[in-house]
Amino acid sequence: MAKTNETDLGRWVDKRLGQLASDRGWEPDATRALACFYEKRRARNIRNVACAALSITALWISLTAFPKSREIVRRLWAGSRIADIGQVSADVKTLKDGEGAPDFVLKDANGADLRLSAYRGKVVLLNFWATWCHGCALEVPWLVQFEKDYRDRGFTVIGVSMDADGWKSVKPFLAREKVNYPVVIGNQKVAAPYGLDAMPMTFLIGRDGKIAATSVGIIDRAACEHRIRELLASASR
Amino acid sequence: MEIVGAETPGLEPIAVSDASGFETMFRAQYARIARVIAGVIRDPARAEELTVEVFLKFWKSTAARGERAEGWLRKAAVRKAIDELRRRERRARYEGLFHFGKRTPTPEELRGVTEGQERVRAVLAAIDKRQAELLLLRNQGLSYSELASALDLNPVSIGTLLARGQRTFRKEYIRRYGKD
Repeated sequence: MAKTNETDLGRWVDKRLGQLASDRGWEPDATRALACFYEKRRARNIRNVACAALSITALWISLTAFPKSREIVRRLWAGSRIADIGQVSADVKTLKDGEGAPDFVLKDANGADLRLSAYRGKVVLLNFWATWCHGCALEVPWLVQFEKDYRDRGFTVIGVSMDADGWKSVKPFLAREKVNYPVVIGNQKVAAPYGLDAMPMTFLIGRDGKIAATSVGIIDRAACEHRIRELLASASR
Repeated sequence: MEIVGAETPGLEPIAVSDASGFETMFRAQYARIARVIAGVIRDPARAEELTVEVFLKFWKSTAARGERAEGWLRKAAVRKAIDELRRRERRARYEGLFHFGKRTPTPEELRGVTEGQERVRAVLAAIDKRQAELLLLRNQGLSYSELASALDLNPVSIGTLLARGQRTFRKEYIRRYGKD
């Protein structure tokens, strides 16, 4: 009995599904479709190659842009065990508040030397950034305002750009954003002692040349300004 | 719907190891696969586009080669067609929800569309996707073993799944349109 019911059910469903039919007068064009197939396949191959190239480039940049990641790659390349990689954080020096800010000499936009130690006696906001870094670009107007508000009280911002193509990207950016503080093009030799492993990275340096505060990522504008005022006030007392 | 049984030419294992083999297979299978899709979605132009998509997927899939190619193509075609059907149903629902202008049917859509077909399509779009696939593939004449191979199912469970799918289909059909 159950079998009969199932057979009836099957017939009932088949009868309805049987109503579906493509247009009898329609003849699918295999030749045109094959051409379309090859065209789409070619477009997808190009897109896949482009995506792969982009991914590899992004991976390479992220692995080599910062001291810690670069050290990990170097050690893996040299055949270190995976277990030893955890030691990298301890081995790669990172600056701590209260330590002296490592000195450097870099060229500014006019080709003149900018020496950090020449700013001893001033409160310095040292900002590592790059034009392609979205967070960095967000901070720039704030830094311009800090420079404007506190320049006369013995404060300056120094921007160290880490753009690989140097002034080619940086100069138009500075003009567009009306940057009013000195900017230099950095390099890994300068960035390494600061333990630069993310951008933006910002250091507040006291008049004594020692690190007073460090910020990795976008600064807290209000907190940063408060700290600048404190440093300016304590130094003038 | 066009019944494609085991006696249909082109069901022998498809050799697609080289470009010419693929082209031969493409030409042999294209019209059949396009008709499977067109039967479900009722739009020949869109069916041709989706068929090309099916073959692009086929080209990339290593699991689709050899003896399983035919079943794989049918399964992919039915799946593509059901996805399209559900996408259209969803779109129609949202358009109704947000009071967008009602889409004008294409001439292809208007031609040869019966109320019965519309009902079947609506029910197929509403029920579980796997059940709809199973019913459509079975309706095309695939045997239990071919169904099991195409859908990666245990051949022993096909009868049960099919009966369950048929019951779901009828229940949904009657819920929507009553006992016609």
